[in-house]
Amino acid sequence: MDFKIKRKSTKSAIAGGLLETYPHDLQMYKLPPVGDISLQEFETLALERLILLRCLATATTLKGLRLYSEEWCDFILGDLRSQGIKYYVKLCEKSGCSTQDVDLQARRKDHIAHFILRLAYCRTEELRRWFISREIELFRMRFMTMKGDSVDNFFTINNLCYTNISEEEKDELIINLRESTHHPNIDKMKFYKVKFFEVLDLVKTRKVYLKGGYAYISHKDFISVLTAQYRVHLRQSLAIACHHLGEIEQDERLVSLLKGLHQSYTGNDYSDSKAVIPIESLDSLSIKSFPLCMRQLHEFLRSTHHLKHGGRLQYGLFLKGIGVTLEDSLKFWREEFTKVMDLDKFEKQYSYNVRYNYGKEGSKKNYSPFNCLKIINNNVGPGECHGCPFKHSDANVLKNKLKGYGFEQQALHDVVDLAKRGHYQIACSKYFDVVHSSNIGLGINHPNQYFEESQKLLKGDLKLEPKKDIKPTIKHEKNDIEEMDFDENF
Amino acid sequence: MAKQYDESLLSDMLPIYYSRLFPQSLFCRWLTCGNYPQPLGNRELSFTLADDVYLRYLSINNQKELHTLFQKKCPYKLDIGPVYNTKPSIGRHDAVVLARELVFDIDLTDYDEIRTCCQEAKVCDKCWKFMVLACEVINTALKEDFGFQNILWVFSGRRGIHCWVSDHEARVLDSPGRTALADYMCLISGGENQYRKVHLGNDNLHSSIRRAIGIIDKYFNTILEEQEFLSTTDRLNSFLKIVPDEALRTQTQETLENMPSSSLERWETFVTIYNQYCKQNANAMRKIKYLVEELKIQYCYPRLDAHVTKGFNHLLKSPFSIHPKTGKVSIVFKPENAKNMKLNDIPTIHTLLDDSSKENAQHQANMRTAVKNFQEVVFMLEKTEAMRRKTEASVSIDF
Repeated sequence: MDFKIKRKSTKSAIAGGLLETYPHDLQMYKLPPVGDISLQEFETLALERLILLRCLATATTLKGLRLYSEEWCDFILGDLRSQGIKYYVKLCEKSGCSTQDVDLQARRKDHIAHFILRLAYCRTEELRRWFISREIELFRMRFMTMKGDSVDNFFTINNLCYTNISEEEKDELIINLRESTHHPNIDKMKFYKVKFFEVLDLVKTRKVYLKGGYAYISHKDFISVLTAQYRVHLRQSLAIACHHLGEIEQDERLVSLLKGLHQSYTGNDYSDSKAVIPIESLDSLSIKSFPLCMRQLHEFLRSTHHLKHGGRLQYGLFLKGIGVTLEDSLKFWREEFTKVMDLDKFEKQYSYNVRYNYGKEGSKKNYSPFNCLKIINNNVGPGECHGCPFKHSDANVLKNKLKGYGFEQQALHDVVDLAKRGHYQIACSKYFDVVHSSNIGLGINHPNQYFEESQKLLKGDLKLEPKKDIKPTIKHEKNDIEEMDFDENF
Repeated sequence: MAKQYDESLLSDMLPIYYSRLFPQSLFCRWLTCGNYPQPLGNRELSFTLADDVYLRYLSINNQKELHTLFQKKCPYKLDIGPVYNTKPSIGRHDAVVLARELVFDIDLTDYDEIRTCCQEAKVCDKCWKFMVLACEVINTALKEDFGFQNILWVFSGRRGIHCWVSDHEARVLDSPGRTALADYMCLISGGENQYRKVHLGNDNLHSSIRRAIGIIDKYFNTILEEQEFLSTTDRLNSFLKIVPDEALRTQTQETLENMPSSSLERWETFVTIYNQYCKQNANAMRKIKYLVEELKIQYCYPRLDAHVTKGFNHLLKSPFSIHPKTGKVSIVFKPENAKNMKLNDIPTIHTLLDDSSKENAQHQANMRTAVKNFQEVVFMLEKTEAMRRKTEASVSIDF
């Protein structure tokens, strides 16, 4: 969106009243808001929206709730209530088309706040991705809680017209529809035909019947079509907003505010380390201070003298993050790899990779080590052992591994059980406590954070104290929220 | 046996191969269609020269330039990249990718944990069956589910196959689209620490999975016997690790260990045990409802290198490129003929150029067939492209 244009257009006055502008609780944010707003309201709206988005992130990552599940929604609504942001509760709980002034005001705030955050979050690719993921979650959640009438209204307002397939066509396909669509009562539903790329999330998870490039969806699946459109729209809008940042930043009052908004939460990305770690100490460190994902990669590398691409990336960046220099890193990989290949091959095929990780090749970007979410959502293929061991291991394999590390029965059971139930990061935190014989209950979001906390503990900077007194960990949790991101390829 | 292949002679053989045998004109026509509406010059080509010197961001404007480039550089390997918004040599890192064929790469090394006849770079006619099956499963899904028509299948030169989809919709599909499509096709996932790599849940089986199992069933017994998946203690143990239910596992182990080592018989016995077990334990049944299907998939279903499909700008070896290590030509084949392909019949550069060699006539003929297969795909593509442009033009006139 373009702030300048927005300012100019204020002169042509607001077109119509609030009711015409905001007929529905749920909006697609197609047009930027017009009108005047005080700096103070600007700031308040932005911060409240930020609380909302961060709340969505917390629900999924720190609380480990399944996306869009009932508990997930409840947690978010509860949190918003306790933070006193009532109008978002209203908008999220059951969207509708009421014409009361309170609702209209809420919609206005929602609209403006969304556009302010676009400005704050368009700066970098990473911020954009975080913002888009959260806004999509918000949109889906609000759509899901909508009642029948409101859904119809929403479609009319947004000009979404689709015609259902004929009964004959449906009868012909009914077996396939029953097989491939995950809804009860298929027989009573109307089905619609859309191109497969309009419902990629359903294609990806094999939840839709495909034939000849078309996806056959029921009305319940329209949320997929909508989110896909909304995602494209957001992506483009953020790119445009980014282009116009220069003009906006001529206004100093806004600059400090907008920059402050995202900067206060970007946190440490561990791409530069001040410490220097000698490679000779990696073996002992891997036992004492590496999270299991890295320890496992280290051991795999030491025993097979090779790691596939995914593993090299995950482990290589981690090593950079803890403070292994480029020279040492090259030496380290060379030493292992040349046990199974000649030096020439290593220099030609692999040293590029190592230098690339340090931003010395290709696009010369200084890459950040992977955080937990990225690792957890990684694909792990045959012959590979990267990823998160709590997710990407069979329970038996994990059990045996921990047993091999000398875990006691009870501790072992606890960790494996947490992993089984899908609480990977909590399992990791438990693993930390067992290894350090502590009882801190860290919130772990990043392997490099794990390493730093471990080092602090071992060097005695951090005292073994009960959970609630550990301030640094809580700070970390907040700092890393921005980085926690789903791979946007949904 | 033909004369041993000698890599050091490649620099002498390649110029002749490129000017006499490489289908330059068809190659350019194929890429030109695939580039539309951008000019051919916006497509990235990359060469690997002798001693692994790597040239990226090359491009050609026409067949003549291709010919000159071949003669000047004599690439050991030829890769094809995406279509950019500008000439790739100018844009480099800033260029935007506009289009590229939707590609699939299936490599037998990804089958190492299940195939027993060969490992790593080795490949034989037995493990080639995995490729035949993979080709059929993917080809069918691309045609029936996604409605694609212009699909080119290529032997990768050593131990795998590539697939290029040139339909307009496929070419302009964005990254999330490619990811979704790849994930739709991938049923096997998991690394070194996961034995059980297929999870079908307990809901209905998706139509595409049911169809894939139908295809697997055509080959399953042959592959099972040839690979002897269950015939030794080690293999039986890795099989048992995939069986999630402990009681069923123990029962299977006890029975199978005490019977003849034929894999087919052992498998059939397992299926009987499984069916009985499910009848008796309705509870356990829910968890392992599709165990037999899951096992079949884990042992036979195509193992895609999904990175290649997901990436917009992943380079992929060109058809009719020579594999520098084997001398084999990356021939184009018809998916329905994959099962008749013999690895020894795949033309190599040295037999093609040596008319005294015994296989020369056979390899020449196979090379001609491969070019003809390529030609068919290119003609078809040109036809559909022409039709598409016509409809597009008439639509824009309507407005």
